Amino acid sequence: MSSGADHVVPDNLLVVERASFSYLERFQALDDVSFAVRRGEKVALLGANGCGKSTLLKLLDGLVFPDSGTYTAFGALVTEDSLEDEQFSRAFRSRVGFVFQNSDAQVFSPTVREEIAFGPLNMGLARDEVVGRVADTLAMLDIEELADRAPFQLSGGQKKRVAIASVLVMNPEVLIFDEPTAALDPRTQQWLTELIVELNRAGKTIIIATHDLASLERLADRCVVFDEQHRIVADGTPAEILANTDLLLAVNLIHAHSHVHLIEDPDGQLREVMHTHNHAEGHHTV
Amino acid sequence: MSTPAWLTQPQIGLCPCGCIGTRKKANFVDSTITGSAVLLRRAMFADDVSSGGGLLQRIDARVKVLTLVALLIATSLVHHVPVLVAVYLATLPLAVASQLSLGFFVKRVWLFIPIFTGVIVLPATFSFITGGDIVVPLGHWFGHRVGLTSQGLHSAALIITRVATSISLVVLLTLTTPWSRLLAALRALHVPKIFVQVAGMAYRYLFHLLDSVTDMYTARKSRTVGTSSNTREGRAFVGATAGALFGKAHALSDEVYSAMIARGYTGQARALDGFRVRGRDVLWACGCLAAIVVVIWWDRVLGR
Repeated sequence: MSSGADHVVPDNLLVVERASFSYLERFQALDDVSFAVRRGEKVALLGANGCGKSTLLKLLDGLVFPDSGTYTAFGALVTEDSLEDEQFSRAFRSRVGFVFQNSDAQVFSPTVREEIAFGPLNMGLARDEVVGRVADTLAMLDIEELADRAPFQLSGGQKKRVAIASVLVMNPEVLIFDEPTAALDPRTQQWLTELIVELNRAGKTIIIATHDLASLERLADRCVVFDEQHRIVADGTPAEILANTDLLLAVNLIHAHSHVHLIEDPDGQLREVMHTHNHAEGHHTV
Repeated sequence: MSTPAWLTQPQIGLCPCGCIGTRKKANFVDSTITGSAVLLRRAMFADDVSSGGGLLQRIDARVKVLTLVALLIATSLVHHVPVLVAVYLATLPLAVASQLSLGFFVKRVWLFIPIFTGVIVLPATFSFITGGDIVVPLGHWFGHRVGLTSQGLHSAALIITRVATSISLVVLLTLTTPWSRLLAALRALHVPKIFVQVAGMAYRYLFHLLDSVTDMYTARKSRTVGTSSNTREGRAFVGATAGALFGKAHALSDEVYSAMIARGYTGQARALDGFRVRGRDVLWACGCLAAIVVVIWWDRVLGR
């Protein structure tokens, strides 16, 4: 495990170097953050509420820009100015997809079909290709019956599927998820976890901000931990991070009453699951 | 964490002899919650109707918009009440053929006419506004006969039938065309795309903000114990709700804009419009054109 991240590796897709950012020049969100994402990785950003995970994701998607430090994507510097270049902007936007935490913000078109077509149309794809891609994506995520529905007629899980479809249809190389499993029912959480694993197997680079320590080993093969002072304090494998109880306690990711339980996967493998309950209650370790 | 003593005290129990307290009428909180639900139900109903398989639902949205706008223009050029009544009556079988309930369709049109048009045209029927032959005398005022004039009544009838016919045509269009298709048709007819996009997003987020309002009002209702006055406290709550909603809408608009930028939006509205004009669309357009010619001709025959 190392503090911060080692970068300037040729295979690095996204590199953030010494980036700091504050909202309204007052509320610090990132403090001297250096971070790199390699091709094909599944990276989880971990940290307490308000530690800067979502801001870093926005920075990686070129939605906010560092007050100091740099951000390089696919070997090119990403700045407000460079994203005003139409060709660069189109290339960057089509290679990095962002699934927002709030699906209501992401699903803004009158119908699901138009929502999914929004990205490819803005990429300048031909109408027939857009129609084909939309149909394929609807089928892939099993939401064909929702195609002509209005967003207000969708449940939370359905909106999340539509939001993911609207990003996947652009075939991005890097997929960024902000708290993807938050406020979803267990079945949808499971579906989403499997989808993320599947997309990674298909060659997509995945970056996730999450609190979901229980699914961490499946969702990520590398974890980057933020402390509450908006700095990266650890970078390692899920097993290394989960084993470091002092670190998790210090960054407010677990409570003193949290325990690691072993549960059995459907394939018979035992895996560790972080679990919190009151000391007054009894508990059983499987 | 230490628990304050009052938090562990039991609350007043329910009276074992049943509900004997004073009852109050629904206040503005209940009315708002009910109103939100009604609006949502209406939107769902309109969506179901517009997706049905009736006559007008099967017509291409662009053709429908163009033909109904042409009919609206023709209606505004007509100067004879019988012609307007005939056009209005013709909308009734169209509504039935489009699987709209006749009672609902008629009510939807005539509910607002007395409120809006009636109030405007009523003064014009009096002799002191529109001079002419008094057919309904109402008495004398400063030595002059006062009453309803035939000219005033004719003008009022003309305006009311014209408004009723126009509203019927608009209701036919909006109830038989899904909102998304209507927007797409407007885009196809070269209404500025940015205007159509803003209208579409406004409609979409109306329901989201409606949910927020309902949540806020429901939260208040759940914490209201006993009767609450509808005056000062109520006004303060409504003001606070409006402020909170404004803040939410602002934050949401920032987030929506980010989501648009993230998917390559550069300020140019683009849309996926798939329209196909079929035989029945051509037939419908020809029928409407013939109806317009007949209406204009009949109006000319009757003279000015």
